[in-house]
Amino acid sequence: MDSSIAEQQRILASDWGGGKSPFGTSWSKFMMWIFIISDALTFAAFLITYGFVRSISPEWPKQTEVFNMVLITFMTFMLISSSAVMAMAVAAARASNPKLAVRFLALTIVGGWIFLGSQSFEWATLIEEGARLTHNPWGVPQISAAFFVITGFHGFHVFSGVVILAIVALRAALGKYSADGVENAGLYWHFVDVVWVFVFAFFYLL
Amino acid sequence: MAEHHDQHAIAYKTYVMTWVWLLVLTALALGVGYTQINEKLKAFLLVCTTLAKILVIAVMFMHLRYEKLNLILLTFAPLVLAVILFSFTFPETLGNATHVLRVR
Repeated sequence: MDSSIAEQQRILASDWGGGKSPFGTSWSKFMMWIFIISDALTFAAFLITYGFVRSISPEWPKQTEVFNMVLITFMTFMLISSSAVMAMAVAAARASNPKLAVRFLALTIVGGWIFLGSQSFEWATLIEEGARLTHNPWGVPQISAAFFVITGFHGFHVFSGVVILAIVALRAALGKYSADGVENAGLYWHFVDVVWVFVFAFFYLL
Repeated sequence: MAEHHDQHAIAYKTYVMTWVWLLVLTALALGVGYTQINEKLKAFLLVCTTLAKILVIAVMFMHLRYEKLNLILLTFAPLVLAVILFSFTFPETLGNATHVLRVR
């Protein structure tokens, strides 16, 4: 009896006893993390499926012959740089400097647009060469299927990120501004960068 | 106030350094990608550079270093589940599975 009371008290005193914040974050940041985790699983499924079809495919075109690797490297550079600038925007927002935060956010958005522009160019070039979701000139239909689905889904995330950042920047410029809001948008933007790290390594380089 | 300001300057400097490290790791990944080595070794090295990069982004940019252990552990969920999904599906590709659809 005594031991069960002691056990109950131990649980109540722990992080999970109620009335405490086991994750130590605001609800909005925690929800953003939950979203990122579930979204990461979606991309994991895409990339593992890609790995699967590539492994059972008797051959796979050389990426350097299909893709413009200079452009891809430039896009990677843009996304990493915009991520770094985004981190600075969060630091400026935390330091209660909305003016600086808006400037950094604007730079992040520019980086995002350059990435999206480059990707549209890449898509247009490949479509012109005859690549479609179901067939392509390189003999292995799976490569263009994986390409359009994975980079398309990722590109849509970048586009959503740019929209979210524009809203956050506008609100910051209007003074309707919260450091938490900037940080949550930043978490999403960094996540988009993390996904691209995987795509760059396993789709374009491997 | 001046001290406060210095702290933020340090934060910006840290982010610039993190950016430089990410570029170095990207260059490393590119180098691995273009080297003519065994495919399996290449895959392993790319997994290493990728994990290093996402660790740097998560710890420095996504501020995991300031978060509680509970949240940090939660972020490992997708990685663990992805490894499970991979290890369940990948054996099917090793050639002894007769029901695998052959392309072309």
